[in-house]
Amino acid sequence: MTSTEKHHDHAQDHVAHLREQHLMLDPLPRGQMNDMVMESMHTTSWKFWVVFGILSVIVAVFLFGAWGYMIANGLGVAGVNRPSYWGIFLVNTVFWIGISHAGTFISAILRVFKAEFRRPFTRAAELMTTFGLVQAGFSIFMHMGRVWLSYWLMPIPNQRGLWPNFHSPLSWDLLAITTYLLSSTMYLFLPLIPDLAMARDRTPDGTWQKTFYRVLALGFRGTEGEWTHLRNAMNIFAFAIIPVMFSVHTIVSWDFAAATRPGWNSTIFGPYFVVGALHSGMGAVAMVLAVVQSRMKHMKYFIRGEHFEALGMLMLLVSMAWAYFFFNDYMVQWYGGDKWTQQLLHFHEGGPLGWMWFAMLVFNVVIPWATLWNKKWRSNPWLLFGVGLLINVGMWFERYIIIPISLTINRMPFTWRMYTPGVEVFLGIGTVAFFILLYMGASRLIPLIPVWEVQEGQMAHSLKTYGRETVVTVSELE
Amino acid sequence: MTTNVSLMAIFPDLEPAADAIEQLRGLGVADDQMNVISGVPVTEAMLGRPRQWTNVPRLALGGAVAGFFIGAFLAFGTPSAYPIQVGRQAFIPGPPSVVILFEMTMLGLLLSTFLGVFLDSYFPSYRPMHYVPEISDGKIGVFFSCSQEDSEKITKAMTALGAEKVEAAEAQPL
Repeated sequence: MTSTEKHHDHAQDHVAHLREQHLMLDPLPRGQMNDMVMESMHTTSWKFWVVFGILSVIVAVFLFGAWGYMIANGLGVAGVNRPSYWGIFLVNTVFWIGISHAGTFISAILRVFKAEFRRPFTRAAELMTTFGLVQAGFSIFMHMGRVWLSYWLMPIPNQRGLWPNFHSPLSWDLLAITTYLLSSTMYLFLPLIPDLAMARDRTPDGTWQKTFYRVLALGFRGTEGEWTHLRNAMNIFAFAIIPVMFSVHTIVSWDFAAATRPGWNSTIFGPYFVVGALHSGMGAVAMVLAVVQSRMKHMKYFIRGEHFEALGMLMLLVSMAWAYFFFNDYMVQWYGGDKWTQQLLHFHEGGPLGWMWFAMLVFNVVIPWATLWNKKWRSNPWLLFGVGLLINVGMWFERYIIIPISLTINRMPFTWRMYTPGVEVFLGIGTVAFFILLYMGASRLIPLIPVWEVQEGQMAHSLKTYGRETVVTVSELE
Repeated sequence: MTTNVSLMAIFPDLEPAADAIEQLRGLGVADDQMNVISGVPVTEAMLGRPRQWTNVPRLALGGAVAGFFIGAFLAFGTPSAYPIQVGRQAFIPGPPSVVILFEMTMLGLLLSTFLGVFLDSYFPSYRPMHYVPEISDGKIGVFFSCSQEDSEKITKAMTALGAEKVEAAEAQPL
């Protein structure tokens, strides 16, 4: 074999390798991709329904049953008490709002920056935003105790003749979380319309699914006008939802930072919380993608090593940013030398739950840094699943340290008392089960892969040869 | 009197559809007599079509302005309507008012953007429309009106350009 022939073979291998690696270079006919996505929704094993059934029971008992018990018996059955009035309910609220940040980050920020690897999994991430916010809402309502009076938060004159004013961060929370929930649901729905129309076209007449898709597809046909309006709206959403996302977790952080308590009164809490939210959110996306890829039919075509690899890089970057903000916050408080803050910092590290503080650092920093630097490792779905799981545990610990543990130490030592959770443990498990249940249900009804976005990406990608080297090129189609 | 007919030509790809549009124009079919239906967004430039008008950005701006004023009403109007003086706190607090104004402006912007798609696209619309389900499988449909006399000539031209089928466009339930 001559060297020219060898080079030719090598070049062909390289092209085949590129196609195997990159979804955008490995197009299939649109009809076939539609079939694959529809089949992935409809192919369900008995194991799915067993898990679905178990989760339904957990939700019924742990979430709604325990909540009903708490409503009947009062907040006394929860562990919240002086001085830790904010317990796991608020830990879970912050945690779920954090999870919800991943959808917007992946869908909006990566769309704005035209990161092409986002295309097949934007919807999977956006669904997490909506379902995560549902759990955050539940957690806040549980925390209220008398949930039937929740309308007092609304800016309407109530029977007391009072109009809630806006001095309190809690009223800002109401507006910010409502805005974010509505915006992210609309942002989930808009790019879903063409895929719902595709599902409508491929569902037999006379079935309830046909009616479901028909109603939700709104009569979409794909005319030039419809695409133009949709594209404009999605561009506006992609830019506008980013500051909304930042504002939500910043405002959540002000619930703490606006109080003059040791450990809370920090000017860096806003960005620290936002980065923390992204940290847990990205980890959760990695977990969801690993499960979707391995358990749903045909998903290995749409979700590949390149996606986990890119996600792993983002996770590493966010982990570094989190470590930076954590150290900045810690350093300034430690250096300040305030008596009560020193006491609190010692309590974090050396108190009865000091192991949680160290576990937080190991899970959020040490493990991601030790694993995600390696391209081969971070391309492995199950390794990324494990790292994502540990990051989420670490981030939950972080919120637990910030809220009930920090509330234990205040300027009145005679009130110091460890927080012992009660019924809220079950309620927390219930929200996790409800999140997974909603996701599983949605995966049977909603095309998890935005097929038209994948096809659009495939149209934009091509291979170009420069000299002896074949490289991937992307065109600007809009 | 000339009778007009509505036809739908289905193309397997973008290239022949763009050629067909050019051909149709040459055969006397005006741009406003044509519409292209596709399963993936194709720009006007790709098809050589006039720029599509959309009100979505204007509606979004209008929504943002409306949201700002609702925010201003909440932040400045309601404390005046229901005055509660809390200690020495400002009656209308400055920085928190910025938060309220921002959130309501963004909510107005995003809600009106969403509703703008509905208004501009006439969604929801469940009445029968000209459509073929193959569109969502990646085909490009060129839907146009022409005179009865020209229809045969145009059908032949479309077929020659690679149309998989050219047929009378029928409204069908979506």
